[in-house]
Amino acid sequence: MALFQISEPGESHARQACTTGAVGIDLGTTNSLIAIVLADGKPQALAVDEGSALLPSVVHYGAGGGPGSVVIGRPARRLAAEFPRDTIASVKRFMGRSSADPETRRLSPYRFAEGDSSVVRFVVAGGRVVNPVEVSAEVLRALRTRAEDRLGIKVNQAVITVPAYFDDAQRQATKEAGRLAGLEVLRLLNEPTAAALAYGLDKRSQGTFAVYDLGGGTFDISVLQLHQGVFEVKAVGGDSALGGDDFDRALAEILLGEQDRTPHKVRQAIDAARQAKEDLTRAEVAEAMGRQINRSQLEAAIRPLIEKTGGPVRRALKDAGVPDGKGLDGVILVGGSTRVPAVRRYVRELFGLEPLADIDPDEVVALGAAVQADLLTAESPQHDVLLLDVTPLSLGLETMGGLVEKLILRNTTIPASATQEFTTFADGQTGMDIHVLQGERELVQDNRSLAKFTLSGIPPLPAGLARVAVTFQVDADGILSVTAREQLTGVSQTITVKPSHGLTDEEIERMLLASIEHAEEDVQARLLIDNRVEAQRILKATEKQLDSNGDLLSAQERQHIEAQMAAVRKAAQGGDHNAIHAEIEKLDGVSADFAKRVMDRGIERALKGHSVGEFDQGELSAHARKAYAALEAEEGAAGPADSAERPVD
Amino acid sequence: MKTTSTCWSCGAPGGAAEPICPSCGKVQPPPPAGARPDRFATLGFEPSFDEPEGLDERFRALARKLHPDRFARATAQERRYSLEQTTRLNDAYKTLKDPVRRAEHLLQLRGIEGDPKMSPEFLEQTMEDREKLLEAKMSGQPLEALAAGVREKRDETLREVRRLLENGGDLSHAAELLARMRYYARYLDEVEGRSVEL
Repeated sequence: MALFQISEPGESHARQACTTGAVGIDLGTTNSLIAIVLADGKPQALAVDEGSALLPSVVHYGAGGGPGSVVIGRPARRLAAEFPRDTIASVKRFMGRSSADPETRRLSPYRFAEGDSSVVRFVVAGGRVVNPVEVSAEVLRALRTRAEDRLGIKVNQAVITVPAYFDDAQRQATKEAGRLAGLEVLRLLNEPTAAALAYGLDKRSQGTFAVYDLGGGTFDISVLQLHQGVFEVKAVGGDSALGGDDFDRALAEILLGEQDRTPHKVRQAIDAARQAKEDLTRAEVAEAMGRQINRSQLEAAIRPLIEKTGGPVRRALKDAGVPDGKGLDGVILVGGSTRVPAVRRYVRELFGLEPLADIDPDEVVALGAAVQADLLTAESPQHDVLLLDVTPLSLGLETMGGLVEKLILRNTTIPASATQEFTTFADGQTGMDIHVLQGERELVQDNRSLAKFTLSGIPPLPAGLARVAVTFQVDADGILSVTAREQLTGVSQTITVKPSHGLTDEEIERMLLASIEHAEEDVQARLLIDNRVEAQRILKATEKQLDSNGDLLSAQERQHIEAQMAAVRKAAQGGDHNAIHAEIEKLDGVSADFAKRVMDRGIERALKGHSVGEFDQGELSAHARKAYAALEAEEGAAGPADSAERPVD
Repeated sequence: MKTTSTCWSCGAPGGAAEPICPSCGKVQPPPPAGARPDRFATLGFEPSFDEPEGLDERFRALARKLHPDRFARATAQERRYSLEQTTRLNDAYKTLKDPVRRAEHLLQLRGIEGDPKMSPEFLEQTMEDREKLLEAKMSGQPLEALAAGVREKRDETLREVRRLLENGGDLSHAAELLARMRYYARYLDEVEGRSVEL
């Protein structure tokens, strides 16, 4: 039906309405949607995949690597069983996550690239390596280009929804994916807020509402108040790793039983489980992998998972000032997983209210996002409402003893800022490490580390006299920037918290270059050039050090390094960027000890005629600082501690 | 000083005294951070111990005018001003909405700032209260009576702060009393078990 509306009268509406090219996108774990506001003010999801508005968030990377080898949506999903490792599904779970996360490898069939980058990377067909931001960008690009085809106009601005519970790293990664897909991301909008927006306008209601959003991979609970045309989010909570995919896995566990788990088998079991779960929303019995599964078996398997939503719900209700849901005017259901009867039953128990589900729970988020895109871009928006959202998690700094000092508490209305003053703890201290954290726990190690940076150039003063003011600013997208400023001299440093999702600037640059939709060969060429340049750089640097500090090496050590330099040179003449990279890494390894000795010597020289206290730590690299600390401990000794072991040439 | 109150856009004198210039309607930069901010003034109220009447309505009306969503199509400069103004507005609203923050701000406006020293008697009393709570929790006794006692103390303390503030009493004593509120709040959080795990 939705199909007809779009291809017949809806189409012409769409052409008139969407002149700004601003869309709403629900970038979901399982499915993604794109919607626009029509001339009559109604938001409408566009059919983008085989006539459906739901585009499965599945990306298949085919062999060959040409532009046509990437397949997205239903066709990709069909290829998943055959090519489980080359077909990335539910990539949203990996957004902003580090490869060290245990979550990352749980029951997932993918091959992960090793390497020192903290970000997850998948190895797909032909040895191609992609990260979650790039995979998400493929989904976004498919939505954009297919919407452009339908609408006949350029789509270049979007409101993209994220789970309210997404942390800073996950938000940054999502924004990056949008940029990579050629979209200006007008705003990141929390999914439950988007759903409430779609409902609120539809019903013209006032009051306090809870949005219970259980999607494929994430659970969100939000409590909102609608009043005088202002949507105020009172509290949010959730679990960024809980959703319908977990239901599928729980059921797949039963199906797999004691069988051997090849990636192919696991993928097959998960697919069968998903199908059975869907069948069981209507029927009492379903078949999966040649077995009969009844509804109570499914419910027993997923009950513990469903109950995991209770904690965040109670906390959010308390934070919003409606403990136990007393005084709540309604509960809105969002996300495909809320179709499961056991989930609905649990929601009813939890809130003591019959939940609302009259807008399609799969579409409601995208529709809300389209409304927000219209609000942000239209000359005279179709609706006159304002959304006031909150921070999902507290933001703080590490203080003495590994404790967290919170600067902005969770559920603070954004944009928000806070400033706190810190002081030095050592005489003559000239640098201060700023460690930014997100989370509710007391100890640094229990929270998510967002960024570390050093404020250097503090005037050397007795301990406790220098004053460093650290300011946090959270913008309307929920993204944090941090400024540290020394009050006496005005020395200051600002960062937007972004290294958090583990991508270095070069990686982002590389991804942007790669994203200009050029063929795989171009990317390979680019990588080749980059690696050749890097090889030249490191060869030059090593040569220089051998010339001026060669006396620090034994003949054998020198030979070793020179042999590896030759290997780098040889690789750089070839056409394989991976090989060059590998040889560069090896050279790094072989010459690490030499580099340290050179550094030590440098410090030794620098310290001659200086007292230790005068030394400006801020100008030293981390490596040198460590060496410096060791030196300080050995003060009075003739030289660095390891001098006795040093080979004499 | 004159120049700071001139609208950056139309040059109207006094245009920057308001968040939105009355003569050209452009959003203005917030006042420089150096000045001690009066959160009541940000929302157009006189300082008061009680929540100003119409606080929610005034906040929503201002948010509708100043929020970055209203400036998505504006210049970078205006977007920055809108962000700063809304940040300031949100902060003011949060301060005025909460009885303890509001009272602390009243003290701030009268020049009382920083962490006051807590009296040893109070700290001792706090320790005792916590021990009792722990015992009760271990032995599975109902906690409601204990919580009610602390709630009573909390409310009485706030009433005392009001008396000191409104009748020109000892303000540094008022500051210490206010600091106690944090201890009470933490205690009550604990009674409720923080039942919901973080």
